[in-house]
Amino acid sequence: MKNVTNKQAVPLQKFVATKSRLPKDSSSGLIAYVRQKFFNNLFNSVLSLAVFYLLYILISGALNWAVFDAVWNAANRRECQTLSPNGACWAGVISWFNNLMYGRYESALQWRVNLGAVFGLLWLIPLALNKTPYKTWVFISAILLYPFLAAYLFLGGEIGSEISLFHAFVSAFALAYLLLLYINLGLAYSRLGTLHRPLIGLCQKITRTKAKPLSFTLVWCFLALIIWMVFASYTLSYVPIDRWGGLFLTFIIAGFAITMAIPLGVILALGRRSKLPVIYWLSLLCIELVRSVPLITVLFMSVTLLPLFLPADIEFNKLSQVLVAVCIFAGAYMAENIRGGLQAIPEGQYEAAKTLGLGYWHSMVLIILPQALRMMIPNIMTSFISLLKDTTLVSIIGLFDIMLMARNIANDKAWLGLHTEPLVLISILFFVLCFGMSQYSLNLEKRLKVGH
Amino acid sequence: MLDNAIEKKPSWMVLGLMHLKRMFNANIFSQTKARGVMIQGVVLSLVLLGVYYLLSNATQNLNQMGMMFGFDFLNATAGFNISWSLLPYDPTMSYWRVFMVGMINTLILSFSVIVVATILGTLIGIMRLSSNPMVAFVARAYVELVRNIPLLIQIIFWFTVVFSTLPSPRQSYMLLDAVVLNNRGLYLPTFELSSQAVWPLIMTVFSLALSVFMHRKNKKNRLKNGKLTTNSYILNVCVYLLLGLSLTLFNQSISWQWPQLTGFNYTGGAFLPAAFGAAFMAMTIYRSASIAETVRAGIQSIDKGQAEAASTIGFSRFQALKLIIIPQAARAIVPPITNAWLATTKDSSLAVAIGFPELVSLFMQTSINQTGRAIEIIAMVMGFYVVVSLLMSYLLNVYNNRVQLKVR
Repeated sequence: MKNVTNKQAVPLQKFVATKSRLPKDSSSGLIAYVRQKFFNNLFNSVLSLAVFYLLYILISGALNWAVFDAVWNAANRRECQTLSPNGACWAGVISWFNNLMYGRYESALQWRVNLGAVFGLLWLIPLALNKTPYKTWVFISAILLYPFLAAYLFLGGEIGSEISLFHAFVSAFALAYLLLLYINLGLAYSRLGTLHRPLIGLCQKITRTKAKPLSFTLVWCFLALIIWMVFASYTLSYVPIDRWGGLFLTFIIAGFAITMAIPLGVILALGRRSKLPVIYWLSLLCIELVRSVPLITVLFMSVTLLPLFLPADIEFNKLSQVLVAVCIFAGAYMAENIRGGLQAIPEGQYEAAKTLGLGYWHSMVLIILPQALRMMIPNIMTSFISLLKDTTLVSIIGLFDIMLMARNIANDKAWLGLHTEPLVLISILFFVLCFGMSQYSLNLEKRLKVGH
Repeated sequence: MLDNAIEKKPSWMVLGLMHLKRMFNANIFSQTKARGVMIQGVVLSLVLLGVYYLLSNATQNLNQMGMMFGFDFLNATAGFNISWSLLPYDPTMSYWRVFMVGMINTLILSFSVIVVATILGTLIGIMRLSSNPMVAFVARAYVELVRNIPLLIQIIFWFTVVFSTLPSPRQSYMLLDAVVLNNRGLYLPTFELSSQAVWPLIMTVFSLALSVFMHRKNKKNRLKNGKLTTNSYILNVCVYLLLGLSLTLFNQSISWQWPQLTGFNYTGGAFLPAAFGAAFMAMTIYRSASIAETVRAGIQSIDKGQAEAASTIGFSRFQALKLIIIPQAARAIVPPITNAWLATTKDSSLAVAIGFPELVSLFMQTSINQTGRAIEIIAMVMGFYVVVSLLMSYLLNVYNNRVQLKVR
């Protein structure tokens, strides 16, 4: 009894939760992470240590060579070696840097190259903006008009003799288009309509339906005429093509190949999907023949065979021959990419387009190709990257692109035998360009992913 | 009225006109079949016209230069030296021989790159998926670094920076006096077969075949019984004893040739020039990166459950990869890998930049310069690459048909 009463006398204890404790150090935190990931068994531990040691040796060696022991200021290679025998001699690369970028383009005229590059960028910027009207036309003009303007700037020369009249005329139109594009863009952002709006009313008296394009063309022609007069009054001094070189030339070749690859690839891919046997076999032959041989043989072919197969009185420069070869090559590879995209489009899309009454070209351009191209963006970007890398091959047939320029440094008297530093520099350059492009393509792929 | 209307039948002339009008309206372009024929006709005639134009230009130009089209030059004496060739070659031999030498050098370079790059690439692809973050990072860094730098730069880097700065023959690196490495290239020991070696050679081949056979039989037995019987143990030991015996006999009957320093250079043994080494290293590393990506994608395409199931039944990670995952991934891996092999064969043409005597450098550069037969030579070189790629895609098709999932 006593016990019971005693028990009753004890007041009910309130439950007090003990303070929550952190888990043992061994199961969380940095140390545990390291232990679990790097040292969870004997093999992994050895592997980790070996890899760590390897990384340490590589990184410290590279840093010592390239930064800490490097020579930045020297007159020639011997001086470099006396200053620091085990370091990089960046002085040689620095003294050749201008040549690496522009080749043997006169340094007083290099602003023209830069201006051409700026125009190219300006042409591409509106494609990324939301308010740009008629983006398709901007894109098409970038492919069709910009090369003329760029070539006009790079080449220069007297109109009519060193540069053809037609070329200069088209360049004037190209510059006028760019100007008009930016004026209209500015007006669009300030909600003022377009430059040719006042003319629309006038044009409607001539044509009811095509008033807008007509008024635009009128303004365009007017601007082009003004620019043409400027062009005609100032003569840019002539820079022959064999003075072009360095990164500038590499970009010309890669850019030309990239812009030409898509139209050519689309045509070949459509041909290969065609039901007409002649067209099918012709495109198949083109694609497979070009794809099964190395680029260097195509380059050799265009250098040695083009002069043979064309009339003897045509003069060739190596650059145009190389451009032809690279275009064919890029087109064939692009065709296979695009064909992959075309095959991946479900049959229903083709049938739906037909049901809407669209003909072959309409259904291709409006329905199928946009989807196919979007689907193939990663592959297309991959082939652009490999194109950029492949442009180095033109150095084998003697075009002074950045590769040959870099190799040329080792033949310079002051920098005799300086191989490593230029090669490392252009490797870094290509790495940055290609890696950047591949990361951009990953990003693009994520953004353009259309959920089904 | 009605009768009148019936009587007013249109005459045959009117009918004919109406028919003509109908034909005109439904013009010939709107009929798919006719249009197809027309388009093809136009394209074909344009192509033929273009080809005719090019060919007529070519004949005119050739006539002007006083040359003829034909392959008779293949029998002419080449007259130039080739720095390295497996086929016996000397300058008195014909251009046909040069072509053969070029093909064989190209094939040797490509084949050795293919073998090593595939192994290295598979390893790196597996490393890329390692659970150890540092290993995975190193593998990824390797892949990204290697595949974003043009192959040509890498080849020239290996040639001018690595192989040219190796020590001169007198200070060469040696391995057991058998392998010698210096700035001229790599020297390996070889052996010469004599007439005494015939029987040991036959014995070696026979015992090798026997051991392969035994290995297969053992595997079958193990799968059937779960273990090996005593008899088969004894048989195995016998076979390996035989193999060892015949190998020792073979070794005694041949004469080894070691590379030896004579004067300023090494002679004897097999020689691989520095250009071969540079091209081999650069191409192997470059291709291994793309193969690693292929292997990684292939392994990742296999359902995660497969790896988990394998670890559930007690497989180690390595066993799971070897027995469960890679056999399944092979279906996805092999087609891109054959493409990589093909690309390697084409890449070998870049060795022309460092003067390795392969097909393009021997035939497209030197021979065109000497004979001027551009059309014939370019056709032959391209023909070689086309044949190789056709052969490769044929083999791939055969493989695909064999491993295709059999779906009922």
